[in-house]
Amino acid sequence: MAVAQTPSEAWEIRIDKEADIIAIRQLVRELTKQFKFDQFASAAMTTATSELSRNVWVHAKSGLARVSVLREGDRIGLEVVLVDHGPGIADLNRALAGGYSTANSLGLGLSGTRRLVDEFKIDTEPGRGTTIVIRKWKKEF
Amino acid sequence: MELGIQPDYMKILKLDEDEVKRRFDFFELTADDFSRLTQLKSFADSCTHEITEGLYELIMAHPESRAFFPDGATLSRVKRMQNAYFLHLFSGTYDLNYVRDRLRVGAAHERIGMPPKLYLGAYRRYLALIHERLLVHFKGSEAEASKALATIRKIIFFDMALAFDTYIAAYLETMTRHQAAIRELSTPVIKVYDRILLLPIVGTVDTQRANQIMETVLVQVVEQQARVIIIDIAGVPVVDTKVADHILQTTAAVQLLGAQTVLTGISASVARTVIQLGVELTRVETRAKLSEGIEVALSIVGKKIASKKPKKESDDED
Amino acid sequence: MPSGSIPILKIGPTLLASIQIDLHDTVVDAFQNDILLEIEKSGSRGLIIDISALESVDSYVARALANTAKMAKLMGTETVIVGMRPAVAATLVRMGYYMSGVRTALSLQEGLELQAELLKAAESE
Repeated sequence: MAVAQTPSEAWEIRIDKEADIIAIRQLVRELTKQFKFDQFASAAMTTATSELSRNVWVHAKSGLARVSVLREGDRIGLEVVLVDHGPGIADLNRALAGGYSTANSLGLGLSGTRRLVDEFKIDTEPGRGTTIVIRKWKKEF
Repeated sequence: MELGIQPDYMKILKLDEDEVKRRFDFFELTADDFSRLTQLKSFADSCTHEITEGLYELIMAHPESRAFFPDGATLSRVKRMQNAYFLHLFSGTYDLNYVRDRLRVGAAHERIGMPPKLYLGAYRRYLALIHERLLVHFKGSEAEASKALATIRKIIFFDMALAFDTYIAAYLETMTRHQAAIRELSTPVIKVYDRILLLPIVGTVDTQRANQIMETVLVQVVEQQARVIIIDIAGVPVVDTKVADHILQTTAAVQLLGAQTVLTGISASVARTVIQLGVELTRVETRAKLSEGIEVALSIVGKKIASKKPKKESDDED
Repeated sequence: MPSGSIPILKIGPTLLASIQIDLHDTVVDAFQNDILLEIEKSGSRGLIIDISALESVDSYVARALANTAKMAKLMGTETVIVGMRPAVAATLVRMGYYMSGVRTALSLQEGLELQAELLKAAESE
């Protein structure tokens, strides 16, 4: 699993096999610990990252995760961008609509994952692929 | 007040090189000013004592400000510091260290509780005294005196801004600590019996508070290894779908851990609202009164409240 | 003898498995296989899965655990999951994943008690 590291606060990990999901998850978990996110925020961001990475692997077979540390004034945040050139999502509204459901044909769990993070952006088109950006900010007090 | 640990005001105030440069620009402090200040060093050396004396004359003449200098030793020490402070204005290097130094002084004043009005009044006196001395020093050359005064005024105002900032930073710090305390107080999880916890929720519950309540509840349930937590909502003024949903989410999470929730304090109007809104509360034990909830909780852990029987000879009741 | 990376201990009539590592396909497959073989071999009627070492659980892991319990149930074994961390419970419900078919308990002790109850109930049916 190739881990390309640009100036100490940004990482790129290719997603080609299941083990990559774990590498990405572990990286995000380590970062949340390094920046002292609380246990709930840490679990939320790690899980969201894991869900989305797994989606890439399951549905697109290959893709990319870009993890970076965000700094805005005194605020610290983590951002994960998942990019794939897979099938894309045809009915985005339905995929984002309420409730986690194993009966949900897409099984993406996007609405559930969205509730775990502070910012969630998705750009998708059938045939072109999907890019999802998630961010979690550390609570200051 | 904690001894020894001073907060990092540079960080709280976000004073980095960029910010310092922005301030120099806004106060119109240029390289010319900085070199003039260096040239004025000998002037400063010659009159620092007089100026300090003049300043403390004012301070000691007013009961409010005098109160901060109760004894001779304190006063002497402060006058020495004031001399150093004055001389440092003409130090020649105006960088982050200079700023940090000025902040320290402001912080010291804030710590002893001197109000901003006295601080400002003292600075005004300062400038007036400097002006008088400048006129004497540059006798015959009013233009030079003016330029010198203009420069000194800029750096003094720059300093005052820093002094103000320390007051603001100190207040911000206090507020942060208070907020933390309020958060702790707002979710008081109480152990009422072995393996039984109680959380009385009082006041409005918004999303942020609800999340915080859930997290506190879960941490406590695990830490205390509670089998039941009683959540009393009699003190929550409005229970709408959102609040009900949040409470449900908490009970679901408690259940996931392997413990149980008993919801109490359900008033008539809450019962009506919840059913009318179609919220599902069937998997949670609910009661109107807290006392009933306690009884339910006790039975869950295999206990019950029994009346003491009147003493008979054959009884060895405890 | 377990072939996978999750050790399975036999404690009296119960099997105890403690998950310490990140779960993925091959590990889960081996785990489920090992459990079922153990049940077959030892006739254990109870399985305790300890997840106290897991700091986060995503839907894949949640499904894997639920499926393991279902498989064990088919062989007559009751499963209890113990040691769930507060942050794990919070994350699962926030995602909307309630794991309703799975029994949980706060500790190993309670897990064993719960299991005894479940087995007694199953027997009296």
